[in-house]
Amino acid sequence: MINSIMQLLVSGLAMGFIYSLVAIEYTLIWNTTGLLNFSHDKLITLGAYVFVGSYSLHLGLPIPLAIVCSLLTLWVFGALMALVIFIPLRKKTSTLFAIMGTILVGKIIVEGIRLLYGTFPMKLTGFLAGTVHIGGTAIATAYIATIFVSILLVAALQFFLHYTKAGKAIRCVSQNQKAASLMGINVNKSIMVTTGISAAICCVIGIMITPIFTTDLNMSNMIGLKGFSAGVVGGFGYLPGAIVGGLIIGIVENLAISILPSVYKDVVSFALLILFLLIRPSGILGKKA
Amino acid sequence: MSEKTPVILEIKNLTKRFAGLTAVNDFSMEIHHNRIHTLIGPNGSGKTTTVNLITGVLQPNEGVVTFDGNVVTNNPPYQIARAGLGRTFQNIKLFSAMTVLENLMVGGHSKVSQSLPAFLLNIPRARREEKLLREKSYEVLEFLGLAKIKDEQVKNLPYGLQKMTELGRTLMLEPKMILLDEPAAGLIPSERSQFVETLKMIYGKGVDLFLIEHNMDVVMNISHYITVLNFGSKIAEGAPAEVVNNPEVIKAYLGERFKNPTDTVSGGAAENA
Amino acid sequence: MLHTIKQHNKVAYLILIFAIIAIVPFIINDDYFISVMNQALINGVVVLGLNFITGLTGQMNLGTGGIFALGAYVSALFNVALGLPAWVGLAGAVLMGFLIGMCLGYPSLRIRGVYLSLTTIGFTEIVRLLLNNLVGITGGTQGVQGIAPFRIFSFAVQGHRSNYYFILALLVILSWVSYRIVHSKWGRALKALRDNPDAAESLGINISSVKIMAFTLAAIYGCIGGSLYVHMTGYVNPSMFTIDLSIKYVIMLMVGGIGLVRGNIIGALIVTLLPEALRFMGDYYQLVFYIIVLLGAIFLPDGWLSIVGVLKEKIFTGNSKGKAAKT
Repeated sequence: MINSIMQLLVSGLAMGFIYSLVAIEYTLIWNTTGLLNFSHDKLITLGAYVFVGSYSLHLGLPIPLAIVCSLLTLWVFGALMALVIFIPLRKKTSTLFAIMGTILVGKIIVEGIRLLYGTFPMKLTGFLAGTVHIGGTAIATAYIATIFVSILLVAALQFFLHYTKAGKAIRCVSQNQKAASLMGINVNKSIMVTTGISAAICCVIGIMITPIFTTDLNMSNMIGLKGFSAGVVGGFGYLPGAIVGGLIIGIVENLAISILPSVYKDVVSFALLILFLLIRPSGILGKKA
Repeated sequence: MSEKTPVILEIKNLTKRFAGLTAVNDFSMEIHHNRIHTLIGPNGSGKTTTVNLITGVLQPNEGVVTFDGNVVTNNPPYQIARAGLGRTFQNIKLFSAMTVLENLMVGGHSKVSQSLPAFLLNIPRARREEKLLREKSYEVLEFLGLAKIKDEQVKNLPYGLQKMTELGRTLMLEPKMILLDEPAAGLIPSERSQFVETLKMIYGKGVDLFLIEHNMDVVMNISHYITVLNFGSKIAEGAPAEVVNNPEVIKAYLGERFKNPTDTVSGGAAENA
Repeated sequence: MLHTIKQHNKVAYLILIFAIIAIVPFIINDDYFISVMNQALINGVVVLGLNFITGLTGQMNLGTGGIFALGAYVSALFNVALGLPAWVGLAGAVLMGFLIGMCLGYPSLRIRGVYLSLTTIGFTEIVRLLLNNLVGITGGTQGVQGIAPFRIFSFAVQGHRSNYYFILALLVILSWVSYRIVHSKWGRALKALRDNPDAAESLGINISSVKIMAFTLAAIYGCIGGSLYVHMTGYVNPSMFTIDLSIKYVIMLMVGGIGLVRGNIIGALIVTLLPEALRFMGDYYQLVFYIIVLLGAIFLPDGWLSIVGVLKEKIFTGNSKGKAAKT
């Protein structure tokens, strides 16, 4: 009994952190460009494929090197995406085109992955496999790793945003683009850096979920959507809100399936999304706009 | 001109606070039928807030707004418009993706009474109503001298014609009264006098006018009655000649320029009813 | 009178399109092609509906997948579970559309832009998940089978060609309704509230009621599309009602030209038929298609056919859009 509750809590916490990271990466782009990056879940998939498919299986690199290469690849990809697509799209006055633009980018990425890697799901055996015993309960290593890595990543990001020049520039651009550019900050460069970071975070997420989900084309669809819920629930556009929102979704959906039939697990996050958008769109931590 | 005609718009003890700042403070005012009334005051005195309170865009913390005998406080803006209170905006709010004619036809929307299901089923009546709407638009365009540009995209028009178009659109509402928020703003002097003449024409057709205005030439030219606002409170009210000589008003807003007994510009306004 | 000339052009254009569609089965006498066209015509119905919201008011709607699904299932279940004829199923679908419009309409009043797209995504997903899991009512992943076709007196609308003309007839009627609404005070009001909602309100337009009207129309059209679909195929399951389907409909709207009735039909035709036309590209078709759509979104915001107009301007005037000078 305690075992299964522990399991639920840990997996809820781990997935919660994943949702938080998703919320963080799209919040970064939202704050600097005003665009909601609907292709973010495809970037997560890309990160996983690049890690598993290219660097590990294809090139046979050792895991740490594969991770670094994947991160760099996604970083560059993100920056290029910003340059070629996001910066031009920002100027579109209609929300329709901005939204559809990022959706289409996502579709193009998925098609690219499909053509490069094929439709057969991949698996990197041995990566973060197995379980760890904590207080008599066997908990998947992947979950523990996820929790640790997420906490480190959030801390690193906070450090970057508050203590480095580039990070501070990004925060300026997030708050007031006109003022930022008048202060001599290269707004476009900041956007490229932000998108690069966002893509790199997606890569981390992708790598971390490979032991939990199989590496296939649809692996991050749900995670992407639940990440949206996390941001809305916690506080849209606000990084601490992203973290809180993600953890809430992760834990609540796990607790929900101890009451409801497990098939309804996914419905929980969408229901929360719609509920918050209707009743409290600024989220739990958000300030009323 | 100072006989008491019926009150068309009345605000009583209107108060609006924004997080510590009282924008409008216990403001009461009566606007009478057949008497062009203008509200003046320095920037930040609460004029625009008052307009928004009257038209239902904002809700007052205290006070009552009565239009044409009915209490309209807290009514949604579209209902107040339908009751017969039209307005123009300080920065012109035209439908930029439409032509002059289309803008006017949207103005007549609430006057076409057919419902959607009736529209779908009763085609002859639908055709008739659309034709009537179009004809009425043509009438208003003729009246304002805009007939030649009816198919022009409004975003291509010079500012003066855009202002005229907005006025025409408001007239389609068949308002009992039009509230004009700084109608002279952005106009060059020749456009300004033409606009004022047009306003007088409209007034001559029986539409009451209430202006918020900064430009004292326009104010003195057209007003029968002026209310002065400062820091959200009324500091003076009366016929133009009285108001411009009021020391409080001079101190707060006007300066000495208009204080001259031989300046009979204000007398002219009273005769132009 | 420029206005009425333009309107005559538009009507002529529509009549031409429908005339061509009507004679197509006599030219291309291929069963498979007709079945694809049937799908295209049904898609046309849905896009006509979507046009009211996304086309005219400019609000993003990614809920068409869910709307189509609900119309489909209501019609299917009326027939299979309650034994009612297809026409009653269609009426049920219309009623369902009305209900959805009221339900989806209210949130859209308070939620804007990206948030609305998230809400409609959430809606589509919840519908799909419920259809998958309420096995007792919906048959779960197995779906519903044995759905009867429409009957016109004793004639059953079965087979590709019968369905073709049946659906085409309904599409013509719905296009005509759409056209009338778009060119009426409501069409103007919808465009006005996208353009400048404050001004619209100051003219006595009840924005809330107009928005809900738009959503209701969109939902009714979408549900009709669903009903036509299930009685044509005889079978339905939830797997097709994904967010991707909603996205596909928005792409059709964009490709055809936002706001235009003829654009809705053309967009539906192009996007449905293109995969068949580009079969030769094999595996690369999807990638190429999405890249073209993305380029279209950036460079041809008025739809793919506007390329004719854009090229004409460039060739004849040497610059883009020489309009009256501003002062």
